[in-house]
Amino acid sequence: MLTKTQKIELSDFHEQRQEVLGGWPTGREVDLDHAIEYQKALPDAKRFSLAMKTAEQQGSLLLQPRAGVALVPEHIALLKFLEKHCDLLPTTIDAYTRQNQYQEAEKGIAKSSGSGQSFLNGFPAVNHGLAACREVVESVSKPLQVRHGTPDARLLAEITLAAGFTAYEGGGISYNIPYTKKVPLEKSIRDWQYVDRLIGVYEEAGVTINREPFGPLSGTLVPPFISHTVGIIEGLLALEQGVRSITLGYGQLGNLIQDVAAIRSLKELANEYFQKHGYTDYELSTVLHQWMGGFPEKETKAYSVITWGGAAAVFSGATKVIIKTPHEAMGIPTKEANAQGLESTRQIANMLKDQYLPESEELKTEIELIKQEVRTVMDKVLELGAGDLTAGAVRAFEAGVIDIPFSASIYNKGKLLSVRDNHGAIRIFEKGSVPMADSVYAFHADKLSERAAIEGREPCFQMVVDDIYAISKGCLVGRPR
Amino acid sequence: MEFRLEGNHKIMKEDTVILGVIGSDCHAVGNKILERVFAEAGFHVVNLGIMVSQQEFIDAAIETNAKAILISSLYGQGELDCDGMRSKCIEMGLDDILLYVGGNLVIGKTDFKIVEQKFLNMGYDRVFKPEDDLQQAVQLLKKDITQKKVNALQAGQDERRTKAS
Repeated sequence: MLTKTQKIELSDFHEQRQEVLGGWPTGREVDLDHAIEYQKALPDAKRFSLAMKTAEQQGSLLLQPRAGVALVPEHIALLKFLEKHCDLLPTTIDAYTRQNQYQEAEKGIAKSSGSGQSFLNGFPAVNHGLAACREVVESVSKPLQVRHGTPDARLLAEITLAAGFTAYEGGGISYNIPYTKKVPLEKSIRDWQYVDRLIGVYEEAGVTINREPFGPLSGTLVPPFISHTVGIIEGLLALEQGVRSITLGYGQLGNLIQDVAAIRSLKELANEYFQKHGYTDYELSTVLHQWMGGFPEKETKAYSVITWGGAAAVFSGATKVIIKTPHEAMGIPTKEANAQGLESTRQIANMLKDQYLPESEELKTEIELIKQEVRTVMDKVLELGAGDLTAGAVRAFEAGVIDIPFSASIYNKGKLLSVRDNHGAIRIFEKGSVPMADSVYAFHADKLSERAAIEGREPCFQMVVDDIYAISKGCLVGRPR
Repeated sequence: MEFRLEGNHKIMKEDTVILGVIGSDCHAVGNKILERVFAEAGFHVVNLGIMVSQQEFIDAAIETNAKAILISSLYGQGELDCDGMRSKCIEMGLDDILLYVGGNLVIGKTDFKIVEQKFLNMGYDRVFKPEDDLQQAVQLLKKDITQKKVNALQAGQDERRTKAS
């Protein structure tokens, strides 16, 4: 059955719901009516959507880390430690739960118990169940979001939202293509329609849950128009199911003008497409992720990458910034390192908040470029779907019309190659089957020949690899050694 | 069958290595780069991609008569995923296969010497950190495969000598 872009019937939803809740014994603890009452009783200070809306209105920047460990008391201690330094709290979910491997997660919990360390890279919320998740919510005083990477996140959503989490990251494309090998796109989109419908049910009952499609995708030289297209599609799919509070994301690339242009164009394009599709009652905000690629090993160098991301977030007018830590190159940070990333970002954000980036021709050009690129792809997506967005998205990936560089999924063509230009902005080197106006493609080519001339080499895969490792080796542009 | 020990590119080209990211790890970028690097160095690379189980690595190695299994893990849960790989290889008859592992193998910033020792104790032949030079890894792999061949040859000769005496 082809998934349609239409609101799931309530009866169908409840029918599917029984199956979802049976996925693991803790699912049976969830009662939707009680869950809505519990959500309603939460103080405003824990309402994620409210914090985002207020910050967006005031033009202020909210800071959020990533964090999650295997055991409940340790996870609470971690969040309590971090909440002194941040505005919004996360709960990062472990990789087994993301694959619905609850048995494996159980082993990770057992191995972590009493060991003094976490053997899981996040918090296995499904295994811990409703009461433990509520204990987490009740132990902190700031809004909590579930951050993960789960193609089928239905049960996780049921449990965490019933427990009082007020924001949920992900989407049917953004949590599939970069995160899995062989989950059909149609399945993940369908499963995320369920999540969005669940949030729509909360919304109808007067409880707003914030939804954040995952912006950075593979985190590897992803051109802004690709991630924008995915974000806008996921935003529209969420709105269709009754979601109202939406935060669209983007992963910092490193060239300040391009990063500022990306967030500004994202906001303008999202409003354009949401309204064109008949939605007016929504709350839109944006998030910039500090550099998602490889980090320098030395902590002093890592701080520079972190604060440069903070600067991009301020100048771009993003509502929220997701923080990296000086331990990024080594993997999962200690709570102290996590707090250090937050502190250094806070410092730069405070120093820059009263400044602004002057308007310029370059900035204007970048904004218009991204808009034109997105419109070209979106037109094709809608054409492929004969008006249906889900069908369009599925066919667009099949045809390589949307192509995410360095993605894991077999459902992604992987023909598009991007590389930095001479000033570090990401340009298209091979467009694969992604539709693009000739003039736009020529613009990219011109930018790349400028770099090629200076380096005395043609754009090639080695140049891409050099760019992927450049920041971890101390530069933005991967010059030949 | 006779072969020269070095300087014969053709022999290297016949050597198959299995590549993949173990467990529930979805980090695909390094995997794609490793595939290119080892292929360009003359190996026949069977890339299993992300989220590969121990059994899938072993099945692929048996099927292709691989000389080495190159395991990546970047998400911190490598310790859980990689444990028991050596004994499973032996169980499946891959007594001699080289096991390389690399990435961010444990959770939390840990002295690499400790991580390395931990994985050597698990039966891995070589342990790499993310910033290690890929060309060096290529050279080590060529050296280790050659050494295995020498050992196998000598073992064969010893066997013949034992039989002859």
